[in-house]
Amino acid sequence: MTTQTLISDSQVLQARFAARLASSLTASTAMLPNDISERLRVARDQALGRARLARQAQAATAGSVLGVTRNGAAVLGHPGGWPRWVASMMPLVLLLVGLLSIGQLATHEQILAAAEIDTLLLADDLPPAAYSDPGFAEYLRSGPAL
Amino acid sequence: MASDKELSDFLKSVEKRAFKRAVYAVRNDDAALDIVQDAMIRLSEKYADRPAAELPLIFQRILSNATMDWFRREKVRSSVMQNMSEFVHGEDEGDFDLLETLHAAEGTLGTESASDAVSRAQILRRIEVEVAELPGRQREAFLLRYWEEFNVAETAEVMGCSEGSVKTHCSRAVQALAKALRAKGISL
Repeated sequence: MTTQTLISDSQVLQARFAARLASSLTASTAMLPNDISERLRVARDQALGRARLARQAQAATAGSVLGVTRNGAAVLGHPGGWPRWVASMMPLVLLLVGLLSIGQLATHEQILAAAEIDTLLLADDLPPAAYSDPGFAEYLRSGPAL
Repeated sequence: MASDKELSDFLKSVEKRAFKRAVYAVRNDDAALDIVQDAMIRLSEKYADRPAAELPLIFQRILSNATMDWFRREKVRSSVMQNMSEFVHGEDEGDFDLLETLHAAEGTLGTESASDAVSRAQILRRIEVEVAELPGRQREAFLLRYWEEFNVAETAEVMGCSEGSVKTHCSRAVQALAKALRAKGISL
């Protein structure tokens, strides 16, 4: 009997013994208490729920990317092509136009208000207190420079 | 991509062995359940798109990592609350309830007499104890190779070691188990 045969026999015996041990371990799993089995079932259900969620998220991402490849014009990856992209950008454009218009209107109103104040000041009657002002009296003595 | 049914069937087929494997390692049912649940969720969230044939290897690797994570967390916790950890550990030792086991086994043992059933349960329990007593790497190699029925290459991949190491671990594990069981008068 060669050394190789002895090693081979030893490995066969080892494998056979290990297989018997493994079958004993398998038998012991059948004796698990019901509460453990139930908790394992709940854990499994929870894991399957997570798998479904992960798949849904993956499908949503894949759908978005597919939109780009199917419609070359979909620059930002939105499914539906350029009309949808334009439609999605429209609120942003309207917002910018609105903000600019409001800014212009506010500036125009400020100019009008300042002009009105200037007009009122210039067109107003001379207040009586002005005659007690030494500067104004000097102005009257020297006469208006027409 | 594994379908919902394939994933469900796979988890169902492996969950009890995974639980036992975790129990042998951490010796605590609750912790083992947490580890198995963690491994199942990690597999489902990150690898549900893999083909069904790849799931066993991936799951076993995840389970090994989850067990290692548990030991790391336990090490940190025990360094903070050493006394409390020892108290909990001591409480878990020897909590085997033969009546509970017999109750669970009821109906599965068929025509076995009561004494046969008790004797059988005791032998199975002793085998489990001896498996749990093996050094960690030997136990992992033995369980993957002979219980999960992975080949040497697959076992080496899961364990992250060479095929030669797997063979050595398996051989030593089987010899240690044979010696321990023979010493207790158990023959298979």
